[in-house]
Amino acid sequence: MNTWIKVARYHLVGPASYLMLAWILPFSFAVGAVTAGRARGHDAAGYLASFFIYFAVLGVRTIGRSLPFSLTLGASRRSFYCGTALLGMALALACGLVLTALQAVERATGGWGLSVRFFRVPYLLDGPWPATWLTSAVGLFALFVYGMWCGIVYSRWGLLGTLAFIAMQALVVAAGVVVVTFDHWHLWSAAGGSLVGLTGLGLTGVIAALTVLLLAGGHATIRRVTV
Amino acid sequence: MTPAISVTDLTRRYRDHTALDGIDIAIGGGTITGLLGRNGAGKTTLLRILAGHEFPSSGSVRVLGAPPAENEDVLRRLAFVREDQVYPDIKVGQALRAASWFHPNWDFELASALLDDFGLRADKAVKKLSRGQRSALGITIAMAARAEVTLFDEPYAGLDAVARQVFYDRLLADFARFPRTVVLSTHLIDEAAALLESVIVIDRGRLVLNAATDVLRGLATRVSGPCLAVDSLAEGRPVWERRRLGSQASIVMVGPLSAHDRERARSCGLDLTPLSLQQIVVRAAAGVLAPVPIRVPETGFEAGFETDRTGA
Repeated sequence: MNTWIKVARYHLVGPASYLMLAWILPFSFAVGAVTAGRARGHDAAGYLASFFIYFAVLGVRTIGRSLPFSLTLGASRRSFYCGTALLGMALALACGLVLTALQAVERATGGWGLSVRFFRVPYLLDGPWPATWLTSAVGLFALFVYGMWCGIVYSRWGLLGTLAFIAMQALVVAAGVVVVTFDHWHLWSAAGGSLVGLTGLGLTGVIAALTVLLLAGGHATIRRVTV
Repeated sequence: MTPAISVTDLTRRYRDHTALDGIDIAIGGGTITGLLGRNGAGKTTLLRILAGHEFPSSGSVRVLGAPPAENEDVLRRLAFVREDQVYPDIKVGQALRAASWFHPNWDFELASALLDDFGLRADKAVKKLSRGQRSALGITIAMAARAEVTLFDEPYAGLDAVARQVFYDRLLADFARFPRTVVLSTHLIDEAAALLESVIVIDRGRLVLNAATDVLRGLATRVSGPCLAVDSLAEGRPVWERRRLGSQASIVMVGPLSAHDRERARSCGLDLTPLSLQQIVVRAAAGVLAPVPIRVPETGFEAGFETDRTGA
């Protein structure tokens, strides 16, 4: 059996944090349906973010206490990283498919009979099912990989290193926002309210490219981690 | 024959100290070697580098003929028990199941027999185990892995005497059936002495002793009895330690004893006790390694013991 697959199985051997995934959706849906779902517009799609954020949490959790034992078992850092990312990708694809199916049900039932929008996120997840699947899977995987990188940075450089890492990202994001919103360049299309006129799918492409960068960053960081 | 583990001029520096300083070791296949030394001597760092958990600052490390770091051809043939092993949130049985996937020679029967011996329950969460039980889990994994190279770093922290005996017995029995290269780092030297074929002692990052246990066992003898007889037997020989109480003396004499020496000692009523491995290691770690010339005993008889240790 390939070591990547072994690593992916190794993560699932203690399934508690992955089973949480199945609980988050009904819980956040229930909260969304009785709060924003009852307000004007019935738009509770923001609550779906909790599910996405949990993927970043999962990504962090795959490193902390799991990395040392997997190295003890004889996995290399590279295999651990690739196997973990593989697990993240499989989870993202599976969960993306679940979101897509639930979105179809939401459409067919007129918002679960309550006109609630939960799985139909305007602009991002509001197209045909293949687009929903692709966008949600890419988004989930990106957050998972981001969580992994944070976990690796913490393993390697501790709390101070992680804070510096986050501060650096804040700087990058702030610089990005300044550039994008700089009126003179018209990067933010006021008409569509979308980034440089990107469609939802276009944005998915940008996130996918970002994910590749995150993957490379995480890989470069884990190479010299010691446990 | 290529040694199973070979380390050449290995140095590991951290920001404010040098954990390992120019270590050279070769450990042959199919042996049990004790890695001994004081706390902070560098034993764990050495084992972590051998297992690929840590990187050397300089020097070369080869395990089973290749550098271990990031080399799965080596890592899958290696088992490592760490004193400070961190486990994910899993149960004992799950930890063993995961370990079985990574070790090609995994023995399920041995794993379950060891669980019984140590009184470990497979359905117990690892985080709820006591320190001793956690050590027992580490030992179980490393033994059942039947890896060609097995590294034990203080494997029995917190284990009671009965469980430690189980460990020694099981290790010897399994080693006899499936010989492998075992490196055991421990502070309980005399307890493990019967297992060890050779010992490596490091102190403050430097190698201070690397010898076969058999050679060390006959290295030094404590001779006790009447002063004059002790001095006469020790004449011209290196002595490590000298104590006197009235007309009685007790010295540690270095070098093997001939049959003639023993006969002389017997006829003079001298008591001969070979120095234990632990006592030799203590001296090695203290730097009193090389045999030193005998010192002429002080004259005069004081009340109480007087200890006179000679340095190398």
